[in-house]
Amino acid sequence: SEDPAPRRPLSSWPGLETLFAAPALRRFLEEQAGVRGGPELRARIQRLWAKEQELRDTQELARADENEDLQKLAEEEIVSCQEEITELKRQIVLHLIPSEEIDNSDLVMEVTAGVGGQEAMLFTAEIFDMYQQYAAYKNWRFEILEYFPSEIGGLRHAAASIAGLEAYKHMKFEGGVHRVQRVPKTEKQGRIHTSTMTIALLPQPMEINLIINPKDLQIETKRASGAGGQHVNTTDSAVRIVHIPTGVVSECQQERSQIRNKEKAMQMLRAKLYSIKLEEETRKRYNARKIQIGTKGRSEKIRTYNFPQDRVTDHRINRTVHHIESFMLGEELLDEMITSLREYADYETLMEIISENVKTNLT
Amino acid sequence: MRLLTSPLRRMVLGLQNLCEGEGGSPPKCCVLNPHRLLRRQNFSAEVTATELVSYWRGVFEANGIPEAQESSEYIVSYILGAKTFHSLGAGSLSTPLTLVQRQQIQQLSMKRLQRMPVQYVLGEWDFRELTLKMRPPVFIPRPETEDLVSLVLEEELQRSGSPAVTADHQCPTVVPHPVILEIGCGSGAIALSLLSKLPKSRVIAVDKEESAVNLTRENAQRLQLQDRIRILHYNVFSGFWEQLLPWGPVDTIVSNPPYVFHGDMSHLAEEILSYEDLGALDGGNDGMRVIKKILALAPCILKDHGSVFLEVDPRHPKMVENWLQNHPDLSLSVSATHKDFFGK
Repeated sequence: SEDPAPRRPLSSWPGLETLFAAPALRRFLEEQAGVRGGPELRARIQRLWAKEQELRDTQELARADENEDLQKLAEEEIVSCQEEITELKRQIVLHLIPSEEIDNSDLVMEVTAGVGGQEAMLFTAEIFDMYQQYAAYKNWRFEILEYFPSEIGGLRHAAASIAGLEAYKHMKFEGGVHRVQRVPKTEKQGRIHTSTMTIALLPQPMEINLIINPKDLQIETKRASGAGGQHVNTTDSAVRIVHIPTGVVSECQQERSQIRNKEKAMQMLRAKLYSIKLEEETRKRYNARKIQIGTKGRSEKIRTYNFPQDRVTDHRINRTVHHIESFMLGEELLDEMITSLREYADYETLMEIISENVKTNLT
Repeated sequence: MRLLTSPLRRMVLGLQNLCEGEGGSPPKCCVLNPHRLLRRQNFSAEVTATELVSYWRGVFEANGIPEAQESSEYIVSYILGAKTFHSLGAGSLSTPLTLVQRQQIQQLSMKRLQRMPVQYVLGEWDFRELTLKMRPPVFIPRPETEDLVSLVLEEELQRSGSPAVTADHQCPTVVPHPVILEIGCGSGAIALSLLSKLPKSRVIAVDKEESAVNLTRENAQRLQLQDRIRILHYNVFSGFWEQLLPWGPVDTIVSNPPYVFHGDMSHLAEEILSYEDLGALDGGNDGMRVIKKILALAPCILKDHGSVFLEVDPRHPKMVENWLQNHPDLSLSVSATHKDFFGK
């Protein structure tokens, strides 16, 4: 099967230059530079305009003057001006995009094998390893909450908690369907198969963001029935928690300590309940967007790993990188892909803000 | 010698019984396959962790070993360097085991076939965040006791006025530095958990058994908590209580004392009866022998407004309350009962 055609080709993704040249943004900045923007933003816009004026003046001067030394000096000044302008534009963009509190959240990542049988499960195990390595690369804590392997070294389903600086801000773009195209190890005729796996990313709520009534929880352990304490010495430490009002279930048997299993199951349950709570909100806010984040994007085919062509393509921004093996180490190449996605998402946010602004001005 | 051969004989018998039961039908019972596996093993053919787990589960089941699946999983995982079967990576499940690994698994499984508790078979077990050495006959901490530690931690944090529970990040956290006495420390599970969670606390841990004192000391050193713990070989019935006060009166007494009613002792599983120190379980006719002794000692040892945390039998809270009413001189009262346990 072919890669799904992106709804908007990458070529229409403007750089900072094009963005700032747009009349809509110009008008928007003029307003922000007045009373509407914060003092820091105002100062940066003023500084941008001053620098742009300085650049024009210097360019004018360089054209007029024939002295070689002076021209050289002017050229140096032009370069430094341009650098500062780019930096200012970047800062202004950051100012205009509202920072989301949720970006600082820790999260629970769930991976599930999709179509393609054992091959899909093998791919799921590889992707899970990739993010475990990515967490190490970013200095995040990575803790496995659930792990259901298949017999031949694949993975049916797993969940992990990822905690660290801006973990959700980066990982939120990875949710969706990931597709692999290659000749499976088990394939005798050398045919290329297409298989899939799905990633869901659930932000971990802070204590105050989600309050669960203990009475709504049914906590099940093997020791719950019959005599306990000193009377028995059993080793099954699995814990299963049911949230009675919603029927949401989570379980953990990763640990030998029962209380640790309970803590991990609780962590997962909280993330699941929180994502249900957020889903409605998120659906409203991001419906029109190409980059779907969190659980909403679960069904979207976001990326293809094509082994015969040694490439990874993200369909949302139509970006392709080569060297799959390096990509799957979960280091620079994956990080760069995530950065591109974030920049694109920022661009979309900015466009939304500006078009909102246009609408308000018209009414 | 007899000890070693008898489980083997039982194992073989178990296998035959099950095989006959299957008659001429295709081999779908889990013990038939492992039977072949065992022979394959001897020819050093490839065996994976998953196959080995189901093999030993079959052997355990055939010999009436409780928790056959869990026991088999814990033993195989342990030899592969993981704590649980579920925490083994996908790769290590399908990688064939080496001959040495298979022999190690066999050695441990033979111990389990003699009804040795899994915790002793592995020589270690987890209690909350800690991994502790386990050695017979020192009492193996039970999961219920993990909750007892949570209760003590909660109280210590509240007492020090720490805002940890209210999650107010503006207030500077006041770190509590209580002195805690644990009576009957066993492997050191309670004492060491408290020390690791309360960085300013100090603990006096006592046990009447030399083996327990030694194991607690070993575990304290392994976890590098030996500087804040005083471990004493001490019997509550014969020792002088002054020995318990190297740091003066204590804030909290915590104990998981023997509380099994003597009449219930004979119903305990073979794992417990054959391997664990029964003195750590047998609480006398009413299960209260040591409980009463601890309560009687408490006023001498505790600071004013100090607390006693005990894990007891579900029948005990009412009995303790009655007993305390008949001993008003102790000026102790039951303040809370939590499910299986209570704190005072």
